Amino acid sequence: MVTNWLKSNLKGDHQIWTIVAALSMISIIVVSSASGKLAVMASGGIFYHIFKHIILVSLGLGSMWFFHRLDYHRFAMYSNAGVILSFALLIYAYKFEQGINHANRWIHVGGLTFMPSDLAKLSLITNLAAMLAKRQHVSYTFNEILPMIVKIILVCSAIALTNVSTSLLLFTTCFLLMFFGRVPSQYLLLALAGIFITATLLVMTGTGSRIETARNRVINFASGLKGTKKKDASQTSDYQIERSFYAIANGGVLGKGPGKSQQRYFLTESESDFIYAIIIEEWGMIGGVFVLGLYLWFLYRGMKAVDSSGRAFGGLLSAGLTFSLVIQAMVHMGVATGLGPVTGQNLPLLSMGGSSLLFTGAMVGIIIAVSRDKVNNPIL
Amino acid sequence: MNIKKDIVMRLRFVFLLILLFAGGIIWRIVQLQNIEGEKWRKASSLRYVSERTIEAVRGNIYADDGSLLATSLPKYRLGFDPLVSLSDKNRRIFDDGIEELCKKLSNFYGDKDWKDYYSMINLARHEKDRYILLNNSLIDFQDVKMMKKWPIFKEGKYKGGVVFEKVNVRYNPFGKMGFRTIGYKKDKEKVGIENSFDSQLAGVPGKGIFEKIGQGSFRPIDGGEEAIPIPGLDIHTTINVNIQDVAESSLLRALKRSGADKGCVVVMEVATGEIKAMTNLTRMRDTSNYAETYNHAVLGLTDPGSVFKLASMVALMEEWNLSNEELVETGDGKMKIGDKILEDSKTTGYGTITAQSVFEHSSNVGTAKLMLKYFGKGNEKKYYKKLHDFHLDQRLNFQLRPDAIPRISPPKKGDITGLPWNSIGYGMLLTPLQMLTFYNAIANDGKWIQPIIVKETRVADKVEDDFKLKQEVDENPICSEETLKKVRKMLEGVVERGTASNIKNDLYKIAGKTGTSQKLINGKYRKGMYYTSFIGYFPADAPKYSCVVAIDNPRGVKKEALFASDASAPVFKEIADKIYACDIQMHKLLAKDANGGVKLTSQKQIAHTSDIKAINEEFGIERKPSNEGWSVMQAENGKVHYEEHSNPKNKVPDLRGMSLRDALYVLENKGFKVSYSGFGKVKSQSIPPGVFAAKNRTIGLVLN
Repeated sequence: MVTNWLKSNLKGDHQIWTIVAALSMISIIVVSSASGKLAVMASGGIFYHIFKHIILVSLGLGSMWFFHRLDYHRFAMYSNAGVILSFALLIYAYKFEQGINHANRWIHVGGLTFMPSDLAKLSLITNLAAMLAKRQHVSYTFNEILPMIVKIILVCSAIALTNVSTSLLLFTTCFLLMFFGRVPSQYLLLALAGIFITATLLVMTGTGSRIETARNRVINFASGLKGTKKKDASQTSDYQIERSFYAIANGGVLGKGPGKSQQRYFLTESESDFIYAIIIEEWGMIGGVFVLGLYLWFLYRGMKAVDSSGRAFGGLLSAGLTFSLVIQAMVHMGVATGLGPVTGQNLPLLSMGGSSLLFTGAMVGIIIAVSRDKVNNPIL
Repeated sequence: MNIKKDIVMRLRFVFLLILLFAGGIIWRIVQLQNIEGEKWRKASSLRYVSERTIEAVRGNIYADDGSLLATSLPKYRLGFDPLVSLSDKNRRIFDDGIEELCKKLSNFYGDKDWKDYYSMINLARHEKDRYILLNNSLIDFQDVKMMKKWPIFKEGKYKGGVVFEKVNVRYNPFGKMGFRTIGYKKDKEKVGIENSFDSQLAGVPGKGIFEKIGQGSFRPIDGGEEAIPIPGLDIHTTINVNIQDVAESSLLRALKRSGADKGCVVVMEVATGEIKAMTNLTRMRDTSNYAETYNHAVLGLTDPGSVFKLASMVALMEEWNLSNEELVETGDGKMKIGDKILEDSKTTGYGTITAQSVFEHSSNVGTAKLMLKYFGKGNEKKYYKKLHDFHLDQRLNFQLRPDAIPRISPPKKGDITGLPWNSIGYGMLLTPLQMLTFYNAIANDGKWIQPIIVKETRVADKVEDDFKLKQEVDENPICSEETLKKVRKMLEGVVERGTASNIKNDLYKIAGKTGTSQKLINGKYRKGMYYTSFIGYFPADAPKYSCVVAIDNPRGVKKEALFASDASAPVFKEIADKIYACDIQMHKLLAKDANGGVKLTSQKQIAHTSDIKAINEEFGIERKPSNEGWSVMQAENGKVHYEEHSNPKNKVPDLRGMSLRDALYVLENKGFKVSYSGFGKVKSQSIPPGVFAAKNRTIGLVLN
């Protein structure tokens, strides 16, 4: 019965569905524990946050289900408009919205918050995949490449105004996508030079609310590597990282068990930016490696979709979205384990979050939609 | 090359890079857990959180009128988080304000130079401590409010690093009053109401998450409460603050005067059994100071002495219908029973007297003779049965724990001295409160009622537990009405003509009995060392309060000073006088003199019109002042004249003829400071009327 229902309703790669289901379950368990602190701090009662998270996870799955049934080819047409809209929204948020911790990343619509960078990510990757797909049978010319690079740099700079790490992640994804799309290396270098010049300009003029923070974090991380760190350099990010290490070191192989985390009380973003540390503290190295494995498996399945997809657009779209998601996960885990400077990156599909869960759901939905291709269109 | 293959190859290449990165993550986990594991675990063990209990707010203890007897006040300890000042943003705040702050701290606490504070804070910053206690002494909320305006501190917890650690401290608004009765809870010692009602007062502690911040000290994490503590219940006692105050000061004066070892007073409301005052004072070793260190009234078991003769008399009347007029031969005041000699205090003896006289003069021989006449000859058991009916051999189950168990036991077979000595209050152990409860039953028309000191427990205004409902009351009167009439006559006689005639007064009647017993020391009764008591009730014709005063081992030159009549009875009177003076319900109404009319003084008076009107209404004076504000009132030939009293702004008014209360009101409103001497109305003033008023000038008033 259930299997039949699943078969008729969940199309596409069933392995990806399995991975997503596993991550959602883990998410609910871990966030419940990590937000134990939040729950007692809020007036809404102990279960308010857990309940809210379960609803959001369900909505994310709903959005996934909704998108996986659509014909993804149609997104190619809307993507350009999406890029322009998200650019406008990013500038609006920077100018007019009051943010948390001086990071005005959100737009408030009614009682809901929404991050324009999520929309920007989705539409830019789709748009880029569409543009690249057109060029697979003809060689690239400068006149065709330039609009791509300009779009990438404009959107990434707009994101960088409020969130430097997300901007860098998106740029990396776009860069990889261009690489996958066989853009000649001189143009790739051009893109690199372009973002470098823009970044220098932003830092020099001090534009953007988070540039300074990013600079400090990088300097702090670099000096930590070199061992020249001043004793009292930027306490806050050090504090977070140290707490994350405490959590990992105390987790051991098997972990302390669910709900036993100590560091959740100290890690200010334990339910989002440092959830991987909490997973290891509570579930041990085994839990940590398992979650890491799930993302790698997901990446593998995403690539499989490329492998079997009929047309270049589907393949590039799936690759772009999969890599975007997995790289973000890797960065999150890298931060928690001290491989990179502190960023505010969620663990996609796992961390507590609002609108971002809906967008992540949409991204995964599109990846699954691409994986359906092989059934309809066996070979190019 | 195939386009698709090319794309797939590129994907695989990046996939490999990501696998490599994933390997790096796993390697870091291994490294953090094993190679660096020890270091991080050790560091984290210094800063951890744990679940700790949060003390519930202890309930309050209230007097019968709702005034606070004991409450918990929040006090604070000043702490500081030096780490806060280390971040880039907050460093400037710290650097700018630290010197002024240290000076303020030094000024406020006055214990250290400001430089000591400065170096203490800087050392902690250097050591990267998460928390230091700036001063251990407790400050109150007003101080906290003031400190929140100081430099650095005004930036709050997250920018300034100030931490006010809350501590609940027990506070008794009336100071040492009723100290032992209200009780206290210190480390191991718990006494009084605080002890007996500890479980109700304590409430239910909550649980919360605390961060360890150093050796044995914890700091609550914001919002880390897991179970909110349930505050303790409020205890509403029957203690009356005024009566308690009178009892305490009267007893203290008497003890100091006589240099006695200890003493106690209990005042009980006759009809309800409510304890209105309970005080116990003990002389501190080798000093002339007294303190509440032991509750004699509840725990002090002694030979009650002559006050017990009341029980014997009631028993005789009940069982054998003894008449007040029955004659007893007391002879020369000596009586040999077995190998013991019983003596009266009057060395020559009282001769042949009535039973009433025996009681009034507290004749031991007379009492013993009556007892032997009726309860001797194999009737002893009936006497002890009566004492049982009087509840005298039973514990009171009083609310203050522990409960003393009285010891009264029938003599063994062949012991012929047991009964006569028992009948005059020797050879048994009773507490003052037990004796008082018996006397109270007599005052309460024979109805025995258990004494209570706690009426109810409450949560805010909701009554949680009503102890009045659980109060033990004996439905059957302990004696007949006839006996009551007879025995009350005896008790009144004691004050009218007997051993306590020194406290007789015209205003109201006191009924009671003195007791002077030799102290039993090392198994022998000592002459010259007495335990004196007076138990009685007042007003005798409609008893409202019963009271026991016991004074142990008073010293004096005269033998009489050692006796109850001189030691205890006057304390009783002093307390009774003050209660009587304050309690208007006890007063007899003054009969209105029908013919005399209202007598008016010819003195000039200044009073507020509204007051004059109120008084006139009460006395039926028809003429009323026509103006508003202050009026001058003068009577001439039995008629009252009124005049408006001028009270110009900024000028000193004429105060002569004003009451002090009115004068204070007028003058202090104009900004004067007032000094005065004497009683009555203002007779003269140091600044003449009409002078311009200057603020803060002192004006002297003489009253007459």
